[in-house]
Amino acid sequence: MTQDDAFAADLLRGHTDTIVLSVLRHGDRYGFEIYKSIRDATGGSHEIKEATLYATYRRLEKDGLVESYWGDETQGGRRKYYRITDAGRAVYGGNVTAWIATRRIIDSLLDIKTTDVKEPRS
Amino acid sequence: MSTDIHRLLDEAFAGVEMTPDAQDLKEEVRANLVARVDELESSGRSSSEAAREAIAELGDVRDLLDGAGTTADSPRAADSYAALQLHHRVRPKVGFVVRVVVWSLAFIVGMTLAILGATDVLPLPIGPIIGLLGFASTGLALVVGDSLSQETTTNHPMPPTRAGGYFLATLLGTYGLGIAGVVALGALPIWCVVFAALGVISSIILFAFLAASQTNRHKAWVRQAQRDASQVGNRFEQEPETAARFGIYTAVIWTLTFAVIVVLVFTVGWWWAPLAFIGGFAAMMLLLARMMFGPRKTS
Repeated sequence: MTQDDAFAADLLRGHTDTIVLSVLRHGDRYGFEIYKSIRDATGGSHEIKEATLYATYRRLEKDGLVESYWGDETQGGRRKYYRITDAGRAVYGGNVTAWIATRRIIDSLLDIKTTDVKEPRS
Repeated sequence: MSTDIHRLLDEAFAGVEMTPDAQDLKEEVRANLVARVDELESSGRSSSEAAREAIAELGDVRDLLDGAGTTADSPRAADSYAALQLHHRVRPKVGFVVRVVVWSLAFIVGMTLAILGATDVLPLPIGPIIGLLGFASTGLALVVGDSLSQETTTNHPMPPTRAGGYFLATLLGTYGLGIAGVVALGALPIWCVVFAALGVISSIILFAFLAASQTNRHKAWVRQAQRDASQVGNRFEQEPETAARFGIYTAVIWTLTFAVIVVLVFTVGWWWAPLAFIGGFAAMMLLLARMMFGPRKTS
């Protein structure tokens, strides 16, 4: 993993809760589906580990932001599905607002022009 | 279908104490692993290779369990509920308060005028009366919908679509009841009760659906406070003999109450019977308070 990857992974990990809530907004999912949506979105690199996700599910459930229920699969073990709650949607909305505000601040602190997407000279 | 993954999962959980929590996690991990193995196999891996790779990606399962344990069991300073409430205080928005006052006024004024019209105190034709009822119902429904979409000290705001559902259900219910009232007052022919029934029934169906699909809206601190409170414990669960005594006392109280009711009915008249019932109920509540929260016997 390069230095850049580690930086990106760190940033991403700080938003695991919000990312999981975002995935669940579109419908109920079980662990592997959530993991896969995140992995696909990050272009295949494993920036959020499965172990991190299990801890996230538990925390979200304890705080009442998601609910879980067991599916009725007969083969290969029953799946534990997660459903976002009204509280989860509210927290997600708040976090997105906070993120948009923070992104603007960081962009301006790091002196990035939104129109200027050129790679900085190294 | 390979059974390797189940064997590897058992090995990964070997030596882990099988609490209900751990068992739960194991089953959740199992389904996810099976899905991952299927994916690896479809990309050309042999089944035993796929199983080994999926397990390796998982890492040490003890980490998964420990991570959950520390947050749940860590001792916290037990704040009082009032202190927590003050800390997480959310004040109502000024705009919201003004809106609620306006809509409450709309409800009261609309209802009052409609009732005066329907009872012929005001010379209003039936059209405007129905219009006023709609106006009043909309006012009440807006109060409900707007209140639900506000953030409060204990609750997160409800998403707009769901709050809209409650708005609609309140509107239909109030409108239906209003029309039923106008029919009862004789200002509308009796067959108009169909509209009233339509409104009330659809409102009941909508409310039932909303209630059944309602998910958690409490904030995290409220849930934590509730968990803490439930740990204080139920006296009757800890002291079964107290629960048994409570049961016997309750039976005695209600048998006596029944006897008193019978005596009252046959001596001074049946309208005195509720008095005995109230007496019995009060006695039972006093007994409950005494036994549930009274000073504990130190053993």
